[in-house]
Amino acid sequence: MFFNGNDVQQFQTQKDFIDTALVPLLFLEFDDARIRQSSSATDFLMSLTAFVEQQFKGRLMLVPPFSYTNQTKDGLAVNLLKEELQSTGFKYVIFITTDHTWTSHSEQLDVIWLPPIPLESMDKGVKKTVLEEQLKQIIPVLTSKWY
Amino acid sequence: MSNNRVSRRQFLNYTLTGVGGFMAAGILMPMVRFAIDPALQTKAEGDFVQTSQKVADITEEPVKVDFSYEQVDAWYTSEVTDTAWVYKSGDSIVALSPVCKHLGCTVNWNSDTEHPNQFFCACHGGRYEKTGKNVPGTPPLGPLDAYEVSEKDGFLLLGKKIANNLA
Ligand code: FES
Repeated sequence: MFFNGNDVQQFQTQKDFIDTALVPLLFLEFDDARIRQSSSATDFLMSLTAFVEQQFKGRLMLVPPFSYTNQTKDGLAVNLLKEELQSTGFKYVIFITTDHTWTSHSEQLDVIWLPPIPLESMDKGVKKTVLEEQLKQIIPVLTSKWY
Repeated sequence: MSNNRVSRRQFLNYTLTGVGGFMAAGILMPMVRFAIDPALQTKAEGDFVQTSQKVADITEEPVKVDFSYEQVDAWYTSEVTDTAWVYKSGDSIVALSPVCKHLGCTVNWNSDTEHPNQFFCACHGGRYEKTGKNVPGTPPLGPLDAYEVSEKDGFLLLGKKIANNLA
């Protein structure tokens, strides 16, 4: 499911089945030295999560990404966000990011961390294969939570 | 004599009907065209989309075949990639849509070790037989959709999605 009008309507009638929220955490950096890497990582995470959504459409909702910079990161209360999502009925709240600093939160949060792969130079076919490979790594992580 | 003659009244009648007919046709034709056209509009290659799958390479074991086509959504054109599970059954080729009939996840072939040789949906454990028939007792309530198949120069073409007519 995406967070849009149609999908959400379906979500409301099928909460028993759509029990997982996938929340991308995007680290944005704008200084000249880092902006390229940051935008590339963003592209990677957005493409990958859309792909995950397609695979698990009926079980998870892809929440719009939460973005932060170095300066604003502290304002991001992920624990509260998690609780809020849980109280609306998501049994599993899973964060996905390319920012490794979140791995230190793995006691309180379910975090999937992936090193970003630059997709911009790839043609469509290669891109798809790369994303498929990444998806294969994510599937067991998700299903191990479910089953 | 006067029978063969066209009277002024008749002449006017004929011509006006004729002209009126043309005018009506001029108005109606585009309307009819607009009404019918979208239904006739098709993906490239008539109704069929070319894939890179060689027909000769298709076996009884289902494989994933990707195919893309352009989709026009109002003013926005995008390229859509779809996938089908393709295998040979006797002499014919079967292409099934991977979209689970429960809530739309993507099903995989043979990915559940406890139930080999079935399509499996990891979302809520939905299962389908090789024909696409849903296994009773699992969440999906209907069979997987199928695609029309065709062949050109040895390559597989996929067409419209059709409801699975399971014998
Ligand atoms: S979406 Fe496939 S079993 Fe629920």
